[in-house]
Amino acid sequence: MRKYIISLAAVILLFLASCNKYLNIVPDLAPTIDNAFALRSQAEKFLFTCYSYMPSHASLTGNPALLGGDELWLVPTSDNVPWKIARGNQRIVDSYVNYWQGTQGAKDLYEGIRQCNILIENIGRVPDMEQSEKDRWTAEAEFLKAYYNFYLVRMYGPIVLMKKNIPIDAGEDEVRLPQSPVDSCFSYIVQLLDDAANNLPDRISDEASELGRATKAIALSVKADVLVTAASPLYNGNKDYSGFVNSAGLALFNTTADPKKWERAKAACKEAIDFVQSVGYRLYYYKPSFSQYDLSEVTLTKMSIRGAVTEKWNPEIIWGNTNSMADQGGIQGSATPRGLDPAHLDNQGTRGSLAPPLKIANMFYTVNGLPIRDDKDWDYAGRFNLKIAGQQDKFNLKEGYTTAQINFNREPRYYADLGFDGGIWYGQGHYDDNGSDLFYLQAKQGQPASKIVESAYSTTGYWPKKLVNFQNIIGSGNTYTVQAYPWPVIRLADIYLLYAEAINEVDGPVADALNYVDTVRARAGVPSVEQAWTLHSRTPDKFKSKEGFREIIHQERLIELAFEGKRFWDLRRWKQAVSELNNPITGWDIDQASAEGYYRERTIFNQTFSTKDYLWPLNENVLLANYKLKQNPGW
Amino acid sequence: MPPKQFSASIIKTFTDMNEGLIKSNKRRFLQFAIFPFFVLFFFYHPAGAAPAKTAVCVLPDKVINGLVTDSASSPLPGVSVYVKNNKSIGTITDVNGRYSLSVPDTATLVFSMVGFEEQEVKVIDQVKIDIHLLPEMNALAETVVVAFGKQKKQDLVGAVTSISPKELKVPSSNLTTALAGRVAGMIAYQRSGEPGQDNADFFIRGVTTFGYKKDPLIMIDGVESTSTDLARLQTDDISNFSILKDATATALYGSRAANGVILIETKEGREGKASVMLRLENSVSMPTRSVEFADPITYMQLANEAVLTRDPLSQLPYSDAQIDNAIAGTNPYVFPATDWRKALIKDNTTNQRANLNVSGGGQVAQYYLAGSVNKDNGILKVDPENNFNSNIKLVTYSLRSNINVNLTKTTKVAVKLSGTFDDYAGPIAGGADIYRMIMRTDPARFPPFYPKDEEHQYVDHIMFGNYSDGSGQYLLNPYAELMRGYKNYSQSVMNAQFEVKQNLRFLADGLNFNVMLNTQRYSYFDVTRAYVPFWYQAQSYNRRTDKYQLQMLNEDKGTEFLDYTPGAKVNRSAFYLQSTLDYSHNFKQKHDISGLLVFLVQNRLTGNADDLQSSLPFRNVGLAGRATYSYDKRYNAEFDFGYNASERFYKNHRWGFFPSFGLAWNLSNESFWGTLKSTVNNLKLRATFGLTGNDDIGSAQDRFLYLSQVNMNDDGRGAVFGTDNRYSRPGISIARYPNTSITWERSTKTNIGLDAGFFNHWDLTVDVYKEVRSNILMGRAATPAELGLSAQPQANIGKAEGRGIDASLDYNQTFSNSLWVQGRVNFTFAQSKFLVYEEYDYRNEPWKSHVGYSVNQQWGYLAERLFVDDAEAAKSPKQNFGEYGGGDIKYYDVNGDGQISALDQVPLGYPTTPEIVYGFGFSAGYKGFDLSVFFQGLGRESFWIDAEATAPFVNYYYSDAEKSSLPGKPQNQLLKAYAEDHWSEDNQNLYALWPRLSTSSIGNDNNSQRSTWFMRNGAFLRMKQLEIGYSLPGKLIKKWYMKTCRLYFNGTNLFSISDFKLWDVEMGGNGLGYPVQKVFNVGLQVNF
Repeated sequence: MRKYIISLAAVILLFLASCNKYLNIVPDLAPTIDNAFALRSQAEKFLFTCYSYMPSHASLTGNPALLGGDELWLVPTSDNVPWKIARGNQRIVDSYVNYWQGTQGAKDLYEGIRQCNILIENIGRVPDMEQSEKDRWTAEAEFLKAYYNFYLVRMYGPIVLMKKNIPIDAGEDEVRLPQSPVDSCFSYIVQLLDDAANNLPDRISDEASELGRATKAIALSVKADVLVTAASPLYNGNKDYSGFVNSAGLALFNTTADPKKWERAKAACKEAIDFVQSVGYRLYYYKPSFSQYDLSEVTLTKMSIRGAVTEKWNPEIIWGNTNSMADQGGIQGSATPRGLDPAHLDNQGTRGSLAPPLKIANMFYTVNGLPIRDDKDWDYAGRFNLKIAGQQDKFNLKEGYTTAQINFNREPRYYADLGFDGGIWYGQGHYDDNGSDLFYLQAKQGQPASKIVESAYSTTGYWPKKLVNFQNIIGSGNTYTVQAYPWPVIRLADIYLLYAEAINEVDGPVADALNYVDTVRARAGVPSVEQAWTLHSRTPDKFKSKEGFREIIHQERLIELAFEGKRFWDLRRWKQAVSELNNPITGWDIDQASAEGYYRERTIFNQTFSTKDYLWPLNENVLLANYKLKQNPGW
Repeated sequence: MPPKQFSASIIKTFTDMNEGLIKSNKRRFLQFAIFPFFVLFFFYHPAGAAPAKTAVCVLPDKVINGLVTDSASSPLPGVSVYVKNNKSIGTITDVNGRYSLSVPDTATLVFSMVGFEEQEVKVIDQVKIDIHLLPEMNALAETVVVAFGKQKKQDLVGAVTSISPKELKVPSSNLTTALAGRVAGMIAYQRSGEPGQDNADFFIRGVTTFGYKKDPLIMIDGVESTSTDLARLQTDDISNFSILKDATATALYGSRAANGVILIETKEGREGKASVMLRLENSVSMPTRSVEFADPITYMQLANEAVLTRDPLSQLPYSDAQIDNAIAGTNPYVFPATDWRKALIKDNTTNQRANLNVSGGGQVAQYYLAGSVNKDNGILKVDPENNFNSNIKLVTYSLRSNINVNLTKTTKVAVKLSGTFDDYAGPIAGGADIYRMIMRTDPARFPPFYPKDEEHQYVDHIMFGNYSDGSGQYLLNPYAELMRGYKNYSQSVMNAQFEVKQNLRFLADGLNFNVMLNTQRYSYFDVTRAYVPFWYQAQSYNRRTDKYQLQMLNEDKGTEFLDYTPGAKVNRSAFYLQSTLDYSHNFKQKHDISGLLVFLVQNRLTGNADDLQSSLPFRNVGLAGRATYSYDKRYNAEFDFGYNASERFYKNHRWGFFPSFGLAWNLSNESFWGTLKSTVNNLKLRATFGLTGNDDIGSAQDRFLYLSQVNMNDDGRGAVFGTDNRYSRPGISIARYPNTSITWERSTKTNIGLDAGFFNHWDLTVDVYKEVRSNILMGRAATPAELGLSAQPQANIGKAEGRGIDASLDYNQTFSNSLWVQGRVNFTFAQSKFLVYEEYDYRNEPWKSHVGYSVNQQWGYLAERLFVDDAEAAKSPKQNFGEYGGGDIKYYDVNGDGQISALDQVPLGYPTTPEIVYGFGFSAGYKGFDLSVFFQGLGRESFWIDAEATAPFVNYYYSDAEKSSLPGKPQNQLLKAYAEDHWSEDNQNLYALWPRLSTSSIGNDNNSQRSTWFMRNGAFLRMKQLEIGYSLPGKLIKKWYMKTCRLYFNGTNLFSISDFKLWDVEMGGNGLGYPVQKVFNVGLQVNF
């Protein structure tokens, strides 16, 4: 019997020995992260992964600068996340557009930074790549890291700098880092950009497959933006944040302004402008590619203004975000009024719910290139009076249409950027500006572009026409064929105005500064600053003082870059949000059918903004997970 | 040659051959060689006709005749009669209870039958032995199925509850619905009544883990099965049902057993003439309680109120004219006021069940064959215009064949084949979704459909109603959703099992070897056929002529023909091999020892894996063993172990050893017990301690926790470049970081039990237990976001404790005047708490810490009351959940920081799974009549009314996915209770059931936070079952060749007692789904 038991035991042991083998069922070919750097083609995917964290600039839900401020408003039933910030509902629990953690419409930028670090650390291992290409990819990852950090700093002020990846099994204290002072953050970002610029291509040569990737032109432009931001009052000598220290006791904000920062900003802007111009970037002017119609100067100017944004890869676009397109399902569909084409009232592709408030309409200059209150030749008091558009207005206003005087005698950007009741809407299949078939908006109660549908109308009576490519076609049914364009993150006019701003801060209103502003104004069909103020202004000497010219540059920026996601950040860095964002959001009384009733200013929402709103709150659980972090003041 | 003789001769031939083979090979071969003959025999010889019972015989000495009767003197067929110590001499009683047996001169006859006490009679001179068998009163004599075997109840050391399958008989085709309150040690409740989706949730001794696998291991005939397999099992087919609760009972299953084990054995054939059982049932079922909605007029009025109260300048959704006309009932198609539930749901439905089984066999082969058909109908209406039926119809068929063959005296072979087949037809959305859609449809915008008017008399489709507001988005029309098509699914589970039991008494007496092979195949597919509904809207109503015009809204989209959408297809296969070697021996009368060694291998494959890792086979290998020792029926000791491995872990952590041991002391068998025996006829103390594990940790998708999970082609992480966005590449993403140290969850269980019997009629079992679950896999909660990890690292860090009591008390008595009474009380109390929980550092907010609370504890806000007005809201601590004002819920600022944030959440109420489940009932019979009543209840459970899903007038989606998949825009109905009791300007009740109305997220976001406001007590007591039966008298039915014939009526869920009235409280937070059903059932059971 013992024999049997022994042999049985032997069998069992044999079984158990083979068991481990039986359980090794994972093939050796299961992918691990090492596979990402075994071949160039795989590493390229990793590089693209780094790009995938790029904020969605064209997204109404992902870009807080579009709907989070006062530039655009929505219908009351909307549950758009950034708009909740505009309505004063930002919060510390599951905060809105939370780029720190990648929630509520945002991307996880810290995750993006980690991916960039992984690429930088590992790209050397790829066997089948030239060193020069490795250098370029490293530079791209550095650029992305810089931009992601910059994006966070603009939102959160002081942030944690993850210069190197912390291993996943690091100790509790190693993984918890305090915020760095904003000045350190900015200098780290600038350092990354400088490093990147050295190895990035000047501009993309293989445009068919690489346009949209980082270039030296982009890196230098971002650097200019970063340094201007760093020099701006929110970050430079902001006394509101005195006493705001990190857990190591370091002051997170400097409280005395350092004028040198403007000098550095000025130098960076100059460097950027010189460089991008040297590689061929220039302001965009519209040149009709087909000549069947002889367009008026008025229309051509408006087309130059619109095209600078919506004409993809026009010579002014330094950085277009190919991963965030302005398309039909996104911002272009929302910017096109329902009922623009009265024949297709039920076209759901045209959602038309983006509504610039009246204060944005007021911001645009008069035809003389002056603010509407400042132009002695423009009837500010009578702006709500009704007036019938005449033959001389026909390129901007529908001839014979009754509208308010506020819509008369404005600068070309007013007509190029805004759609409104009685306004001509050039394009969308109708290209003869001398013909009578151009679209024009009729937005009073009961008219085609009025509130016929609960979710697709403008609550103010205005639309951001600027964002709509003129060649989009509103078809029958629900077809709306859109010329999508990569979102223009940086265009030349932006850098020109940053430079003018920096020069003025350093040297005051010198000729160079005036020149750059006037170059932008010239493209917009507006007289030069000197001419405008001297001839028509109630304060003709305003542009001669640093403070006066600063105001002029600020307004120029807000007008030129309207609806491009700049105003939101500019008002913050200038510390003007408290004054601007405490004004009510108003619009026309759109529920009225008569012109008399319609052209009355109606308050839609009373916006509030307090000092704490300059910076995003850190989400509560961010603070719980890292006790070394300090909540931003006021939250 | 007639088949009978032929088969007998074949058997004789191979029996002879076999014997010869064994001898010639000196008993070294197992009898596999004869397997082909066996198969041949099987095919030729239909199992139903058993061979004569004379194949094996020993020379007789004398013949004994007799009659076996029960206590009521009715003849007992099927009783085994055999010679003690020589089972080969034996027979069974015939239909008339008579037997005839040739026995050796000095023999002792044993009479035995399940449910009766075994009796022995010594043969001296008698030639006729008549005998009364007494019903088995002493439950200790029962055998109980335990891991890989059976034990006598009196030898049990571990905590094992075994219940009689009868107890589980309910008028439902879902066995899991019978578990609640019937089984001490089991927490069970049912959240839905939808056919096919009505599995109850059940946990052995509650939930002590917070991983994904919380439910017990289910072993049907020794094979791991799913809860749906259990649900489809027919009670009539079950012979044993046991719940293994503590460490010694479960240790053999090692790393799979931490959540307890349910062991089920199906019936096997017994020697004797074919016995046929037929059961037919027909039942009517209806919801126990339905959610009540406000009428459409109130709906419109309050929808207007909801808009005005938030923004007085806003446009009203319903005009006064519409409301007035609806009140006046002007034209229901122009001014609709639809009761959607009435339009879609019937009052009740009927279900049918039929069950047939046949068992019997001879000495060589025994069989048990069973088949059943259940038909469950949904409660949805059908439109006569359609030529298909979209109501839910679930037909489940099952077929089972268990055959045992005694190949030789020492070799037995068993073949078990079973199949379960579900055929389902029902609405595309599924029953629960239809209910949820009804809850989300505006009652006043459009009727379900328009009748065909003159203009549309040739239209060949249902003219569904809808409403266009111009946004291009139509509203949800659940009637159209129900009628526009149907879904079919077909699900089958096939099981084939082959078992060889070899008695190794030639090696050592009491040694047995057993091999079992099982394979299971699962397949599922569904198809959907549907048309796109045409929407119509009534326009230009002419009041004078009472006529309206119908406008077709979606001319270009609707279809009149059915289109087809392929659905999910799931295929799985499993293979299982188990070999056991067991030994038992008795030394010197007083010492009983036994040993068991099991080796098992399991392999499962799925044919529909989404990624490489889940496509790889699932494997388990293990060795398990048991050793028991018992002395003089007084002292028992047991040692068990499981040693097994799981492929989920890294090599170093793959194998685990799970030992356990236990002791029991039978006080009542001690000599000093003596006179006490008449009052306390049995008293036994048990104690066990040991270790088990759980390898189903993390999530089912987390296959190889030691590996990283990398997606090398993640489109979600890609990017695109180029002039025309022509160049794109996917990205690379990491869903999991590698961690080689991850291993199974470990559970240390201690159990102390007491079995006691009083006055021979009362049996009490009480078990007290404590369990410490450690190594629970958890995400590292405190990983800072700044680290930028794309997946949360995990580690075995959690620890939890469970403790509780389960007890049952049975009463059993038969009175002389053929009255019998049985009673039963079960009680289960299971409580858990976190010991170590990975969470943020809550040193300043200790109330946020999970430690010390149940694993199902919920945290939320303390709702003080409603805000008096906006001014009060503005000056109170800021609540971080969207816009709010007067009439919205005011939360308490627990930490006093001037903000209501997640830090102000405190543990609320009881856990969401009940901590107490109990049941009690009795059965009694007198002559042919019997009556049984069973009550069931649960306690210490809290649930939350879903404040988002019930928020009136809002467009609520259950998930983001639904936003694109739901065929229309939803708008929530108004619960009647909310209509009657909410805050309004006129009724500023600060404690109203529902806060200030709102049609949007304003207010609702704030109010829908988990708080005490919507917390409710889930406790209830319900009459689970009432049954009245009548068995026709024996004489009458004998003429129809029946043995028994019982007619019965029963009802399930007849009434319940609870404070909660909105819906059936057992559904908890799922109250808007398919309601739990109340069932009235008539049944007939016949034995031939």
